[in-house]
Amino acid sequence: MRVTFRGGVHPKGFKELSRRVPLQKFDAKGEFAIPISQGIGKPAKPVVSKGDSVLVGQIIAEADGFVSSNVASSCSGTVKAIEKRRTISGLSAECVVIENDGLYTPVDGMGKKNNLEELSNADIIEKVKYAGIIGLGGAGFPTYLKLSPKNPEAIKYIIANGAECEPYITCNDQLMQSESDGILEGMEIILRLFPNAEGVVAIEDNKPEAIESMKKALEKRPSKAKISVLPMKTKYPQGGERSLIAAIAEVNYPITKLPADVGCIVQNVGTIYAIWRAVEYNEPLFRHVLTVTGDAVKNPGNFIVPDGVLVSELVEACGGIKEGVTLRKALAGGPMMGFAMTSLDVPVVKTTNAVTLLAEDEVEKAEKQLTNCLHCGRCTTVCPQGLVPQLMADAVHVGDLERYEYKLYGLECISCGSCTYVCPAKRPLTQIFKQTKAEIMAAKRAKAGAK
Amino acid sequence: MINTALNISSGPHVRDRWSTKFIMGCVLLALLPATVVGVAVYGTHALLIVLLSVGTAVLSEFLFNLLVHKDPKGCLDGSAALTGLLLALSMSPSTPLYAPVLGSLFAIVVVKGCFGGLGKNFLNPALAARCFLLISFTNSMTTFKVDAVSTATPVAELLAGRAVNITSMFMGTSNAVIGSSILALLAGGLILWALDIIHGEICFSVLGAFTLFVGLFGGQGFDPAFLAANICGGGIVMGAFFMATDYVTSPVSRKGQLLYGIVIGVLAGLFRVYGSSADSVSYSILIGNLLTPMIDMYVVPKPFAYSKKELAKQSGAPKKTLKELVPRPVLVIIVITLIAGLALGGAYKMTEETIAIQKEKKAWASYQTVVPEAVEFKQVEAVAEIAGQTYGTSFGRVTINQAVEGLDASGNTVGYAIEVTSAEGYEGNITLSVGISVDGTINSISFTELNETPGKGMFAAEPDFKDQFNGVNATSLKLVKGGSSADNEIDSISGATITSEAVVNAVNAALDFFYNTIKGE
Repeated sequence: MRVTFRGGVHPKGFKELSRRVPLQKFDAKGEFAIPISQGIGKPAKPVVSKGDSVLVGQIIAEADGFVSSNVASSCSGTVKAIEKRRTISGLSAECVVIENDGLYTPVDGMGKKNNLEELSNADIIEKVKYAGIIGLGGAGFPTYLKLSPKNPEAIKYIIANGAECEPYITCNDQLMQSESDGILEGMEIILRLFPNAEGVVAIEDNKPEAIESMKKALEKRPSKAKISVLPMKTKYPQGGERSLIAAIAEVNYPITKLPADVGCIVQNVGTIYAIWRAVEYNEPLFRHVLTVTGDAVKNPGNFIVPDGVLVSELVEACGGIKEGVTLRKALAGGPMMGFAMTSLDVPVVKTTNAVTLLAEDEVEKAEKQLTNCLHCGRCTTVCPQGLVPQLMADAVHVGDLERYEYKLYGLECISCGSCTYVCPAKRPLTQIFKQTKAEIMAAKRAKAGAK
Repeated sequence: MINTALNISSGPHVRDRWSTKFIMGCVLLALLPATVVGVAVYGTHALLIVLLSVGTAVLSEFLFNLLVHKDPKGCLDGSAALTGLLLALSMSPSTPLYAPVLGSLFAIVVVKGCFGGLGKNFLNPALAARCFLLISFTNSMTTFKVDAVSTATPVAELLAGRAVNITSMFMGTSNAVIGSSILALLAGGLILWALDIIHGEICFSVLGAFTLFVGLFGGQGFDPAFLAANICGGGIVMGAFFMATDYVTSPVSRKGQLLYGIVIGVLAGLFRVYGSSADSVSYSILIGNLLTPMIDMYVVPKPFAYSKKELAKQSGAPKKTLKELVPRPVLVIIVITLIAGLALGGAYKMTEETIAIQKEKKAWASYQTVVPEAVEFKQVEAVAEIAGQTYGTSFGRVTINQAVEGLDASGNTVGYAIEVTSAEGYEGNITLSVGISVDGTINSISFTELNETPGKGMFAAEPDFKDQFNGVNATSLKLVKGGSSADNEIDSISGATITSEAVVNAVNAALDFFYNTIKGE
């Protein structure tokens, strides 16, 4: 077990902006627009129609197929419409629009404590599936699938990902401080499914309070022999699934394999907390933690936010944009892996862990400094997968996708952005790879479809 | 309402503060100590060379960018200035001022600009320009003047087997290029290495391989003073830290960089120990540059997940065949080299004897030429004692190979033929036969081995020069320039003094042998 992976970068953290602001429950006043597709996989099928009244925690769209997740209502009120709305990605998608009655009446059975002893492993997975839990780290993969590997006995490590390596974001830091017990109970539930596994709570060492709080809570739990809290080196992308496995299990695996194939399951601490709420209190995933931060916002903070709230409403709750500051860039997520929003009038989804509002766009400045590649090799040094970004970009430039894919293993790229971050020539390497990977995958799908 | 004029771009949205300009600026700063020492030691002329070189480089980049419709401000990214500075620092402080101007122009326009500018050149522009100047203006580039007197550089002294002052080489006060202060270069280079701007894989492998090679084959073993002198001279430190580490022309992977560094170090050592030019480093780095694309093609690092160790961890990984491990072109090249080498060696062995017979025949034919009256030749016995040794002390490195007595049909001595070799020709050995009649008059001379510069030294075999010896009766000849006025004066070939001197020395040795040994008997 090591405390870090090979490669990586040290972007400025900016965590001071919000790291000491405790989590605050955010109750929205206005209407909710809940997208029926929030993670990876097929969009869910709406099971309510216009005019229906809904309650908090009521399933409003059901999973459609294997890789798909239930969507629950996050407020009580009346369904106003089911229509296309602009979503956080900038594209239009089907949303269930609910007129919020402001009462937040919970659905029957939610909050009632289950006796965990009586639940079988299948019950646990069923509850996680019903709750519509997806990975809150950003990818949004259905959690019940991650918890159902072919061979549960082969799982050696359950890793609770509290690294939070992305600059600016601090909500998991606060969650680990205020809900240490909930996270550990969630870990215990997961460990029940995997008899040979040990639990590791991985936290970057720039969060001493969270480490302390988790350690303290662990001392009092009966599971302390099976779970450990591991302070990790502060380095981006420490919180990447592969980085954590490379450090903790000391295994680097290719893209053709899943973490479970190398005996690991990585879950974000937020997801683990949601698993606990779902299994013990029958609570579907309709709210999660989120940081509103950046140098453009007046009062940065950490919130427990229901899905479907408009980003603009959240920003208003933080005091809005500072006077005399022009908002240049609004990011869903942090500055490394987050994406730029086209508008703030879009609903928050399960995978939105931060809203970063910036008064200055570094990319604008960088574009002016663009030069040819110097072959300095900084990208190669920092790549957490051991790839050679400069050669990959060359291959794309000359259109040699075969070399990109087979000789340079370009599909192994995890789009972490480290190469773009360090490039002194300011070349948009990660951006090139994101597009190339999408093209190659599309070509593969087209080929498979033709057959 | 919140401003909606938002910038949209794909992540990441933050950038490190390092830019091309920053890196180039760091390297320039790292070269500053060496520049300051150079200017302080060598004075205003050195400063002028530096300023002209850097200025021309930046200006020509500006003009070239204008010409090819690139952003002319690109000339300020520091890379052109760096090329100019490196070129200036690798020049003799007495270089005429047109050299840095021409060199920088060549570096920026031909080597860099024409291949696509920054990051696209396949040779180090400063080094390519330096070699261009070396070939075009050999004299002025290799003349090192101290107080207007040409002297040899420490490396030239070292190559000639003479003692050198290591301290002055280290401090940069010896008679070498402007950027020759090892102390200043090391200070800058090590800082760059510590900042991870240059890769240790390159600079240390160059130095290591070079030192090892010189130690093993330099003939003086691992004598610290000898090794230190070799490292401090001839630009190996500047080459290792500032030239070989050039990002653009060195391999991408750390493994490839190691290989590249070793190749350069070994080549530099090879040229230093066995080569004739003091400029071993420039050429070996340029050869390294040329190998870089091939190294990059074949030494591509595997992602962590595909390293041998990881593959072993993940069972069921397919085993690599030999064919996959050793790329086909490498095999083909090795096989071709082997075949060519064997063929050459075989051919040499097979023809060795024939060549010896031919040589012998040629020698006897030349005796006949210089003593035409003779019908039979007989070896002068005394020659056996001196064969293979340097003859006398005043003729340079001259050996008398053979001396024969020419006899006519009735057995009377009609003259002597003496074959002499001088090792001091411009391009190596000169061997000639001198025919001397019984009274000491030179009949004529005839060359059996002459490989001098065409158009210069090769004129030695032309009647204009060669026939000056005919009929001269003197105990010693004198080489003069601009027309001979006496019988024993030989007019030098213009532009080939070294060749002429070697020939006259050889003939003098023959005369000496004739008067002191043959006659003296």
